This record gives sequence, structure tokens and C-alpha cells, in this order.
Amino acid sequence: MRKPPPLAAVDPAAPPPNLAKRPGAVPIALQGLSKQFGTGVQALDTINFDIAGGEFISIVGPSGCGKSTLLRIVAGLVEPTTGACERARNATAAFVFQDAALLPWRTVSRNAELLMELEGVPAPERGSRAAEALKLVGLAGFERSYPHQLSGGMRMRLSLARALALRPDLMLLDEPLAAVDELTRDVLQEELSQLWQMAGFTALLVTHNVHEAVYLSNRVVVMSARPGRILKVIQVPFPFPRSPELRSTAAFAKLTGDVSAALRQRDHI
Amino acid sequence: MAQTISLPQAGARAKSALSTALPPILVALLALSFWYLLSITVYAGKGYLLPGPREVADAFVENGATIMAATLTTLKEAMLGYLTAIGLGVLIAAILSQSRVLERSFYPYAVLLQTVPVVAIAPLIVLWFGYNDLSVIVISLIISLFPIINNTLLGLRSTSRTLVELFAMHHTSRIISFWKLRLPGALPSMMAGLKISAGLSVIGAIVGEFIIGSGNSQGGLGVQIIFAQGRMYTALLFAEVICATLLGFVFFSVVSLLGHFLLRHWHESAAD
Ligand SMILES: Nc1ncnc2c1ncn2[C@@H]1O[C@H](COP(=O)(O)OP(=O)(O)OP(=O)(O)O)[C@@H](O)[C@H]1O
Ligand SMILES: [Mg+2]
Repeated sequence: MRKPPPLAAVDPAAPPPNLAKRPGAVPIALQGLSKQFGTGVQALDTINFDIAGGEFISIVGPSGCGKSTLLRIVAGLVEPTTGACERARNATAAFVFQDAALLPWRTVSRNAELLMELEGVPAPERGSRAAEALKLVGLAGFERSYPHQLSGGMRMRLSLARALALRPDLMLLDEPLAAVDELTRDVLQEELSQLWQMAGFTALLVTHNVHEAVYLSNRVVVMSARPGRILKVIQVPFPFPRSPELRSTAAFAKLTGDVSAALRQRDHI
Repeated sequence: MAQTISLPQAGARAKSALSTALPPILVALLALSFWYLLSITVYAGKGYLLPGPREVADAFVENGATIMAATLTTLKEAMLGYLTAIGLGVLIAAILSQSRVLERSFYPYAVLLQTVPVVAIAPLIVLWFGYNDLSVIVISLIISLFPIINNTLLGLRSTSRTLVELFAMHHTSRIISFWKLRLPGALPSMMAGLKISAGLSVIGAIVGEFIIGSGNSQGGLGVQIIFAQGRMYTALLFAEVICATLLGFVFFSVVSLLGHFLLRHWHESAAD
């Protein structure tokens, strides 16, 4: 069912070349990105980074360092002050926002259909794809509920299902699992990883959870406090599919330790 | 499975309905008794100043057909004014919400609608539209327009930024964004405006009728109230004022019910 890509990563600065062969997935090139808001806040400072098509990248960094801003620039929602974000314009991108961003007047299943609706997917297909995505995130049986009847974690899962149902080429995830309890988080991480391996989209995940970053990613980007700069890029060499047992291995602990150490480097006041 | 909240038992429900209905009923009974006492003591023999409940009830029965016809006339005028105000108000709010410049340029003039004394410009409106129910409808429209514009605009402006971004990411046109995001999101605020205007539209119709007088053959409650006053038939005047008040109340209730029906699934204002 799953086709894990063979691992061939050596140089942490460049993306693993074999990943670029995934069909449909979009490569992204961030070239000298800086962002200064009208308020004078400098959110990002000269971000240079290349992402291969189909790669799973996690971004970790202190609060307010510009992670969400970076995702918004990749999504095309915010214009960078200087530099550019190069990616295929016709690719379908889906954004899972930090707040679930649901339509409170729509039922769960109608929310799950929203992005497909906006992108012009025909109605009969929308229904089945939404149902499938809802099942994946464990929301089967709640199709007719309304968002206010769901818990915070369930709302986030709905937001995730809404994005998955679109079958995007690029998935931008802004702390999608932050509001979810630990058990559900483990399950969803597993699901997310499998979905990514199956569907082969390029994933850009912002998270505060170092274990999550390492477990899911090909590479972990560590950012500095504002203005956000890339402090370190850490290659995660474990092959996919990864099993939950990986989390308790020494090699895994070593890598999460590396990420934590890089995070501590400069962001303490 | 989706609905995990258990509903209160039918018995408990009936009990709570009784406990919410009982206090206002008691107040009504008290007020009626007080009114009756006043009419047989201080105002005894001065029925032209304060008729008793009994006289008012008699006036109701004797003039049933006239009151009924007048109420229907006023209802029709107020409803037409109100429905036009909804259409026009939502349209104006929708246009103003499209750009900050538009809103800043025209909003102050929308506020004038609220501050202009309707009673003072009513004669002018009669001059323009004639001594007929069209004038009444226009006055009702003017008085109910502003709360609708204001509240709808407020609702349209309060769309969450993240949702706007989400729609923008998927190349949604202005019209679709309006239809699928801004308008439904504005509904709770819009309904608040509609509720305020429901009562106002009846007031507007009655003010209009005062001004046009017996211009139209039948005449609504406003016209009949002036008639009753001229005849010093205070009991009938009371009956008609009660009818006008009830009309406004029914208007308000219907709109509240509609709002509840539209929002019951998702908005706190319609919870329970
Ligand atoms: N639209 C905006 N206008 C002005 N300043 C902004 C805007 N959006 C973000 N900022 C500022 O830019 C900085 C980075 O914000 P951003 O949301 O990207 O941080 P973040 O890394 O995602 O933080 P967190 O982990 O808390 O979500 C913050 O100081 C924020 O106040
Ligand atoms: Mg953020």
C-alpha cells in the first residue's frame, strides 16, 4: 500500500535528490526572503532554503519568530519585503491554520467539502472524498455536527481533513496538533506520516514539538528569535515508514537532543 | 452519537416553561387590577380620561370590524416598508462593505437617516408621494433603514482574517466570498438590526398615518386613533393603541423566531 522512498540523504544543506521524483509534488525555493511589516516589526531576515518536491520539512523556533509568516509567504498570502518564493503556481496548496478556521454555520461534512467546493470539484465527488478524509482523522459519525459541538482537538482534525480532502500538492501546516491531547497527537502524527507517504505532497509543518518534528520530517529547520533566521538545518536519516518504536531509540533521542540544543542556542532572553 | 448533550425531560421542560411564563402573567394581572382600581376611584365618572378595562373591552367588541381593518392596513404598510428597508439596507451595507473608501464617504450620510426627525420630514414626504399609503410606506422605510444598514455592515466587517485568507488562497471571487463567507458570517449581527427595525417599522407606519390623516379611504390604526381622539372616544383610542402595540410585538416576535430558526445550529445568540 505504501511506497516508502529509499533514503539517500548525505548533505544536509541540499534536499535528497530522489525525493524530487514524486509525481505532482512541488519543489519550493526560498531565496533571500525578508519580511518587514508596516508596523515596523521585522518578522523574517534573509531566509535561503530549497525544498525538494515531496519532502517533509518541519520548522521549529521560538514564538513570534515568523514561522506563520513564512508559511503565509509560501501560500502566497503575504508578499515578502525582499527576496522571492519560487514554486509552481498551478500546484494546489492547502493551508491548515493555527486556529482551525472553520465555518461555524456549516456542518462537519460541509466544512470538509469547503476547499473542494472553492476549487470546483464536482459535488458527488466532494461528498465521498470528504467522508473518506473525515474517517481518516477519526471524525466519522460526526458528519452532521456543527463546529461548536466539537472539542478543540476535533476542530483541528476537521481542519486537517478539509485540507486532506483537497488532495493538495503542497500542504502547509501551522501547528495543527498543538491543541490535541497526547494520545490523539500520536495517532494523528502516524496518520499524517502515512498520508504523506501515500499521497506524496510536499509538506511544510510548523511545530513547537521537537519529537513531532523529528518523527515526521526529512529535515528540521531551526529558526532564531525575531527577526527569524535559519539557525540550523538538521537531517533526519531514518527511513520511511517509521514505526512508533523509533521514538524510544537512542538515535532518535540523539537527534531530538540536537534540535533542542540548536533551539536553545540563541532564543533565551 | 454526534449529539452527546442530553435533553431535559419533557416534565422538567413544561415546568420551566411555566416558571418563565408565570411572572409576566402575574405582572399583567397586577397591572390590570391597578388600572381597574384607578378607573373606579380617582377617575370615576371621568371615563374620557381613563376608561376602565371593561369599557375598553366593550369598545373592542363594538368596533371590532373597524379595528380589524385598520390593523390590517397598518400591518400591510409597515410590512412593505420593512421588507423594502431590508432589501435596501442589506444592499447598501453590501456595497459599503466592499471598500473602506466607500464606507468612509457614505456612512456619515447613513447616520443622518437615524438623526433626521422623521416626524419633521414626514410632511415633505407626503408632499412628494401624495396623501396615500405610499407615503406611509416610505416613512416606515426611512425609520427602519438605519439599524439594518448599521448592523449588517458591522457583521460584514467582522469576518475573521484567517477565513478571508483561506478563501483568498483558493482564488475565490468577491461574489462567492460574499455569498459563502461574509454574508452568513454577518447573519447574527444582521438579525439584531432586523429585530430593532421590526418595531420601528410599525411606529413609522403609524406616524405616517397621523400625517396623511384620512387621505386614504380606509385608514390604518394611526388614522383611527386620530378619529377616536376627535370623538373623545377614549376607550376606543385605548383599544387601538393596544392593537398598535401588539402589532409591533408580533412583528418583533416573528423576526426573532426567524432569526432563531436561521441561527439555532451555530450561534450563541440563538442557543436554547
Ligand atoms: N499582519 C501583521 N502585521 C503586523 N505584524 C505582524 C503581522 N503578522 C505577524 N506579525 C508580527 O510578526 C512576528 C512574527 O509573527 P508570526 O505569526 O509569524 O510568528 P510565529 O513564529 O508564527 O509565532 P507563534 O509560534 O507564536 O505562532 C510577530 O512579532 C507578529 O507580531
Ligand atoms: Mg504562528
